[in-house]
Amino acid sequence: MDDRQLFSEAVLPHIDAALSLARWITSDRADAEDVLQEACIRAFRAIASARNADARAWLLAIVRNTAMTWIAKNRPKTVVTTDDEATFERAGLGMVEQQASPEELLIEKADAEQLHSAIAALPLQYREVLVLREIEELSYQEISKVLSIPMGTVMSRLARARNLLIQRIGMAGKGKAGAA
Amino acid sequence: MTKPNSWSSREQSLLLLNAYLDNELDAASVLDVEQRLASDPALRVEHERLVQLRHALASQLAGERTSDDLRRRIAAIADTPRAPEAPPDNVVPFTKRPARVYGWQHMAAAAALAAVVAGVGTFGLVREDLGSSEIAAIVTDHRRALLAAAPFDIASSDRHTVKPWFDSKLALSPQVFDLSSTGFPLAGGRVEILDGKPVPVLVYQRRAHVISVVAAPRGGQEKTSEPSRVSTHDGYSVIEWHGRDFDYFAVSDLAEPELVEFVQLWRQEAGDR
Repeated sequence: MDDRQLFSEAVLPHIDAALSLARWITSDRADAEDVLQEACIRAFRAIASARNADARAWLLAIVRNTAMTWIAKNRPKTVVTTDDEATFERAGLGMVEQQASPEELLIEKADAEQLHSAIAALPLQYREVLVLREIEELSYQEISKVLSIPMGTVMSRLARARNLLIQRIGMAGKGKAGAA
Repeated sequence: MTKPNSWSSREQSLLLLNAYLDNELDAASVLDVEQRLASDPALRVEHERLVQLRHALASQLAGERTSDDLRRRIAAIADTPRAPEAPPDNVVPFTKRPARVYGWQHMAAAAALAAVVAGVGTFGLVREDLGSSEIAAIVTDHRRALLAAAPFDIASSDRHTVKPWFDSKLALSPQVFDLSSTGFPLAGGRVEILDGKPVPVLVYQRRAHVISVVAAPRGGQEKTSEPSRVSTHDGYSVIEWHGRDFDYFAVSDLAEPELVEFVQLWRQEAGDR
């Protein structure tokens, strides 16, 4: 199979998924298109490494890394730095108890706009794990490879990302109910 | 309502619950989670929330669709003749790490380094070519760091500070151990550019000497127990080994046996052997 053919089989079928990932990381459709194009150029240069690989996860890894480079260059301030991950992460799982009653389960009623803003507000490291799992539907192992992080980290970031989403949406829902 | 008996068990339950919903558990753990769910109403609430969240995400979020124009432009990328260029460094290998293929320039450089090594006459555990330009860059970075006011960007002997700092800075999480009990205290961390990309560097101290441990990411690599490889460059000892997801390079002006001891302790900590 020549490079051109490999490109059209390994890259082209997955560019919608790739664009979604870029869109979630950059939070902007036009920026995401730039990232996607740049990533596809890189993918073509490295097309030989798509052989014997899961093409989708392979392409998503390139897109993710291209997007991170793009962010570091264009929006260095959005990369959240936390000096104390322990405190930060405890905050993530610790607050659940405060809204434990089932009648406050408004998550299912959340609309697209609420979900979008809740996801956009997640720290980048949590957002990318969540998006790779919920939107791209990668396995933990694939996520671990795409992000070059251990599986245990995938698990804990995913749990915390979901937890933060639930808190945020739960609070927004409560606000709405109070106003009505 | 059943109170979780400890923080750690609650966290454990949540992690398991998430993995359970993602179909990532083995049969025994699935059974375990289902038993916990049956006996713990608080956990059932968590479960219900997560299920709702999943439904909400699945029903509300549509993926992006590329426009025909963008699709055409991307397809056209393959029409341009490919420059004889090395693969970009941000490509994560998804199969086993490919054997490095060296061009003649690398071979020449390796031969030059081999001559230097032979001239110095030191002995390593396994001595071989390590991709000499990488080693030279690592040694240069180490020397530059020694000239700077401090050889680190973040000073901390607490690995729980250093590790998240890398995570937030680079979205990379190398393994970080404090070896102060064995005489190699963790001093901090810094970021270096290796092969055009930022990589985490751990900084350790041994008396007045500084040890830099460069962690070059290699996606999805299993840790191995293969022997470390030793070389020298400009009088600095460099030891390379493959750890989980990263290739590590320790560089220092310490006497080689001491650096070997350091790497052995570090790898023991990492459970390499």
